[in-house]
Amino acid sequence: MNNPQQPRLTPIDEWEDEATAMLDGVEYNTELGLRMARDAIRVSNGELSDAEFHEKYHEEVLAEFGEDERPTKPEGFDDD
Amino acid sequence: MTNYGLVIDQERCIGCQACAVSCKQENNVPMGQFWNRVLTEGGDKIDTPSGGYPEDGGSGSLDMEYQPTACQHCENAPCVKVCPVNATYTRDDGIVEIDYDKCIGCRYCMAACPYNARVFNWDEPEQMPEEGTGDVAARPQGVVEKCTFCSHRVDEGLDPACVVNCPADARIFGDLDDEGSTVSKYINEYETDQLLEDRGTDPKTHYISGEMSPGRPQTSDKMESELDDVSPWSDGTEDVPSEAGGSDSSGSGGSHHSIEGDADPHVPAVGSGGDD
Ligand code: SF4
Ligand code: SF4
Repeated sequence: MNNPQQPRLTPIDEWEDEATAMLDGVEYNTELGLRMARDAIRVSNGELSDAEFHEKYHEEVLAEFGEDERPTKPEGFDDD
Repeated sequence: MTNYGLVIDQERCIGCQACAVSCKQENNVPMGQFWNRVLTEGGDKIDTPSGGYPEDGGSGSLDMEYQPTACQHCENAPCVKVCPVNATYTRDDGIVEIDYDKCIGCRYCMAACPYNARVFNWDEPEQMPEEGTGDVAARPQGVVEKCTFCSHRVDEGLDPACVVNCPADARIFGDLDDEGSTVSKYINEYETDQLLEDRGTDPKTHYISGEMSPGRPQTSDKMESELDDVSPWSDGTEDVPSEAGGSDSSGSGGSHHSIEGDADPHVPAVGSGGDD
């Protein structure tokens, strides 16, 4: 996907198509990856806290990957 | 604390691609992949200008603006937050890195990176020459890889390969937490931007535009000593670095992945024209 000819950075409204293409054919849940990617940007720009992000996806990440080692885990968070 | 960052002076950049090529060489980047690209604000291809050659007194322009782009080593890195197995992580010195043994190839980090800075090894990576280049081990099929700010060099007190090999001295690397560092001084003194600031990722790569800076001052102790070692003006008695004579000085590649031990693969044994 990383096209050396790509002349510009991707505007946000085109990003979603690109992200979908990147995840195409992945062995894991594509739709979960897209939702997490979108929300990770919301964490970056302060719309969502690390803890909220962690809790929001914890169950799904655990179900999909059998582990959740993301660094967003709040202190004292119950893993199970 | 140390917090490494990069300043790229877009007024100095001449679009020569030396950074992209030296990155590929130094980091053993597989065929078809780039960690470091020089995008252009011009036509559709990397070397087409937006204007045309001035004909018949016309006012065409071959002006091009260059946008060297690689991993921005974001302070608030979305790629780090989505990685379910913590393969992508931020080092204590701010460098965002991937543990290739942990990576399961889910590509969530690629989707989350707004800078398209990551590449995925769809196939078994191919190197040219086959045994590889540079000082970093090849990554396997099925993992994501990207720029590391040449952490293997930084760990030895050296600047990243792209910085050292920029003929326009447009790239300056250093500690953003040190107010006296050149990167900090330039960010204070010149007009700088970060890419896609609206996304809040707070990249550690800053771009100078407007007024041209003096470029990269060659002041690092280590670099100065390297230059002394191979100086064509020296009297010859100190031309050979004390660690010269290692069996791997021919640059055979491939096997010198290790940056541990006392091997010093970065300093050319004799003469100039090495990778530094
Ligand atoms: S540029 Fe992309 S890969 Fe690099 S730290 Fe930022 S989000 Fe991660
Ligand atoms: S592809 Fe690798 S580094 Fe990226 S999120 Fe998945 S496991 Fe982490």
